[in-house]
Amino acid sequence: MSDKKLCAAIAIAGAFATAVALAETAKAANDQEKCFGVSLKGKNDCAAGPGTSCAGTSKTNYQGDAWKYVPKGTCTSIVTPKGKGSLEPISH
Amino acid sequence: MTISADFDQGAFVRALLDPELPPPNELETPGGFRPERRFAVYRNNVCVGLVDALAERFPICLQLVGDEFFRAMAQCYVRERLPRTPMLFEYGDAFATFVSNFKPARELPYLPDVARLEYAVGAAYHAADAAPLPLELIRALPLDRLESATAVLHPSTQVVASAYPIVSIWRRHMSDEKMKPLELDRGEEALVVRPELAISVSPLPSGGSDFVDALRSGGTFGEAVNAATAVAMDFKLTDCLRELLLTGVFVAVSVAH
Amino acid sequence: MGARSAPEHCRERAASSLPARAGVGFKSVHFPDIEASARDVGFFEIHAENYMGAGGTPHAQLMPLRRDSPLSIHGVGLSIGGAEPLDRAHLGRLKTLVERYDPAAFSEHLAWSTQGTRFLNDLLPLPYNATTLAHVVAHVDEIQEALGRPILLENPAAYLRFQSSEYSEIEFLREVVRRTDCRLLLDVTNAYVSAANLGFSADEYIDAFPMSYVEEIHLAGYADDVDEVGAPLLIDAHCAPVPDAVWRLYDRALARRGPVATLIEWDNNIPSWPTLLAQATQAEAFLGRRRRAVEDSLRSEALHDDLG
Repeated sequence: MSDKKLCAAIAIAGAFATAVALAETAKAANDQEKCFGVSLKGKNDCAAGPGTSCAGTSKTNYQGDAWKYVPKGTCTSIVTPKGKGSLEPISH
Repeated sequence: MTISADFDQGAFVRALLDPELPPPNELETPGGFRPERRFAVYRNNVCVGLVDALAERFPICLQLVGDEFFRAMAQCYVRERLPRTPMLFEYGDAFATFVSNFKPARELPYLPDVARLEYAVGAAYHAADAAPLPLELIRALPLDRLESATAVLHPSTQVVASAYPIVSIWRRHMSDEKMKPLELDRGEEALVVRPELAISVSPLPSGGSDFVDALRSGGTFGEAVNAATAVAMDFKLTDCLRELLLTGVFVAVSVAH
Repeated sequence: MGARSAPEHCRERAASSLPARAGVGFKSVHFPDIEASARDVGFFEIHAENYMGAGGTPHAQLMPLRRDSPLSIHGVGLSIGGAEPLDRAHLGRLKTLVERYDPAAFSEHLAWSTQGTRFLNDLLPLPYNATTLAHVVAHVDEIQEALGRPILLENPAAYLRFQSSEYSEIEFLREVVRRTDCRLLLDVTNAYVSAANLGFSADEYIDAFPMSYVEEIHLAGYADDVDEVGAPLLIDAHCAPVPDAVWRLYDRALARRGPVATLIEWDNNIPSWPTLLAQATQAEAFLGRRRRAVEDSLRSEALHDDLG
């Protein structure tokens, strides 16, 4: 084994030993990263849509100049490098 | 027996997807009236059904841009790219790329990576089951030989590296907690894994996603460290391993003799 | 036509071993309620395509559900009514799922949903003629061969009709049954919706339906709309309780068929578990009355025999 490989082996062994100890402590203290249950994503139904025939039939070509929506999310607490209000509608 | 020509499904689909086109000729209503509104039921089912599937699949993106914007954007995606299998949980695999090319969304540069993370979360939800290696067994491994050891990762394991703090964005939208404003001036590498049934999304230290990718493609721990340090000089191996151990990423470790 | 029709002795095989009780469509959100309750539901039905992933919550929920209750698997993606060959990969996935859970019944739709490599996520209509019949028969044969069991084929909800149709829907379904030996799933709501939309009598449809081949019934709520000229446009939206008119039509069907497995379908605006359960209880009441009517008539026949 080369010196370099030996050094790497020692470093990895040390890191692993420490990491296992840290993980055990974290598990025991129950401070592990919060896990989120996520419900079924993208499900198939054999139902028709929401029960009207008008939605989803718009003739607007959203891809072109006719685009009329601006992102206005519920999250307003993101700060961009440019400053505040990244989610404010930007007028073009 | 009369053999009629195959009915033109292609024309039906074209009319279904393009509201500018009239309904196919061969369709009729009992009173002989115009079939537009009746045909619109099918148009609506296809479009709204798929937009709904995307809204369920990308709930954080929806929160970030709002319902109106999301649905209009999703509709563009639907018209550009229909599902290629009947399994809707696979739909949206190209949504992140679509969003990155979608001009009206440019002012939210982190949106494509959040979409990438959400797709990874959905894929983890349906991934195969496997039992993570218990910490006691990992502790008993011959640690001095790990440099040349390889690992089997949990089938749900995925990493998404971003120039934006995507894990922090994801988390603040998953919880109702009030948090201080989020600075966008740093990137995060997300680890997604579902060792049991609950999905864990957590940040890895810089270089961590390369470390995981190297292990997953069959590389040794030594090679994975090299892959990580190649992109992050100050790669924090201990922190990375701690996160991987805590979230149950390792299903097996094979040590060469 | 002899070559295709099944020999008479094969016609005895049932496609379904579902109990003649009320069942509900299984929704993931109801799982904790189902676990906590006495689970007094005749059976659960799932959409096959939602369980084609390898693992995770879907299967973790389905396994105990299947262990404790009869299961019906309902496909929404085979595109039986299309002119194109079936998607073999999809049929393979379905075979894997059916082998894994060995359900009491497998059903699919008289409709199409795939064109080329594009899945349209809706149950689209087909004209009823010799050409489409040949496609449907070939597809049902292929599915039954792959799954090693007869399937149930469901009547669709119609909003329009095709000029090129040569058969009525019922004639078409009869022919498919005769040539493939499949069985039928009668969706009473679809019958009601189609009748209103296309201007025929729902009662006559039920009276003419090949009821001896029906092994499951579906019931659902629909959405009410009108078309350009103010004519009724009912939409099969699975978004509401079963309306009275559909219950009446259901009872008419039961009078001909006798008690049979009946599913409450509610896929949109999913209700609370007690609300869904109440719909099943209502169906169970219809089934009970019909069961007693059958028993009474048997008793009076026996009495007649004694006296005779």
